[in-house]
Amino acid sequence: MSETGSNGADRARRIAERLRAGGVELAASLPDSWLSPLIDRVAADEHIRHVRVSREDDAVAIAGGAALMGKRSVVLCQNAGVLLATNVLAAFSYHHQLPLLIVAAARGGAEDGFYYQMYKGQVSAGVAAAAGLSVHQVTGPQDDWLFERGSEQAWLQRRPVVLMCSRGALLGAAA
Amino acid sequence: MKRAELAAAIAAAAPDHVIITSLGSAGRAWRDHGGPNPTFFGSDPMGAAPGLALGAALARPDLRFLLLEGDGDLVMNLGVLLAIADAGAGNLRVVVFHNGRYETGGGQPLAAAGRADLGAVALGAGWPWVRTLERGASGDTLRAGVEALLAAPVAPALLVAEVDAEASPYGGPGELSGVEARVRFQEQLRNWESRREDAG
Repeated sequence: MSETGSNGADRARRIAERLRAGGVELAASLPDSWLSPLIDRVAADEHIRHVRVSREDDAVAIAGGAALMGKRSVVLCQNAGVLLATNVLAAFSYHHQLPLLIVAAARGGAEDGFYYQMYKGQVSAGVAAAAGLSVHQVTGPQDDWLFERGSEQAWLQRRPVVLMCSRGALLGAAA
Repeated sequence: MKRAELAAAIAAAAPDHVIITSLGSAGRAWRDHGGPNPTFFGSDPMGAAPGLALGAALARPDLRFLLLEGDGDLVMNLGVLLAIADAGAGNLRVVVFHNGRYETGGGQPLAAAGRADLGAVALGAGWPWVRTLERGASGDTLRAGVEALLAAPVAPALLVAEVDAEASPYGGPGELSGVEARVRFQEQLRNWESRREDAG
């Protein structure tokens, strides 16, 4: 079973369209296999400035800098990135009130077959909520509207919003 | 070289730049001795200022950005040098206030202080233009170094300026919250841009 088959490419195209429709002009990313098609799609998108980082808190800071200048942005990362970046996320939520969208691969759920991912599924949504962020579960194409509206909600709330995305939401149905 | 001298030299050379500072003594030096540039005074969390400056620069490629960065803030997150080099932000320049210690926190030395070469780290991370101003640099050398940074033919560009260790106690809680400082910067930037448009 490929993580990056045609289903994944189609999902990536649809998600990227929604992100653009939500006003996203900048994306900062750190890879996860579930996010690979979307990162490739965004990197090739002439309407979205893509930035590669080596830590997720850098991605959040970069997205916050774009927000400071009035631009909407998205962070693409694994949910472990939410854990690593909690300090800057809490600061942007409570201290600076800088809006951004996080599209996170929600590793560690019941669909995930790797023991080392489990802890992320157990704690990341709770940590994000404790940091003051709105958290939405994205489980499939029926939730695609959130990729567009998430940016708007972040802007209205003046704080980051997290979309915890299942494997199916990011890669489509397994081939 | 005193922090105040460095801030004053930057103010004289960079009136047309948007300034972003890290928290601590670099930001306070700019607040006390810098120019009227639109300035976002960074705050906690430490280590976030370079990423924030990169995001701002990428969002507004029509503006010139100068990050005034404390060495303590930078070493908390050296990996960001890779992201900035990779993004190739041509409108971002950085001055590192380098005294080798956490001034505000009590003067404790940075890890590997006196041995690590921050300029070499940046070069190794892929920055195309890096220079270092030694602590004993004359006023003329300081001014020339800052002007060379701003005129660097490639960017991102970084100037490591070795400054003296000077007391930099906490200045109290400050008058503004983080969000108030953010809103003030955005208003300051709008007014600055409006005046520039009117002028020209």
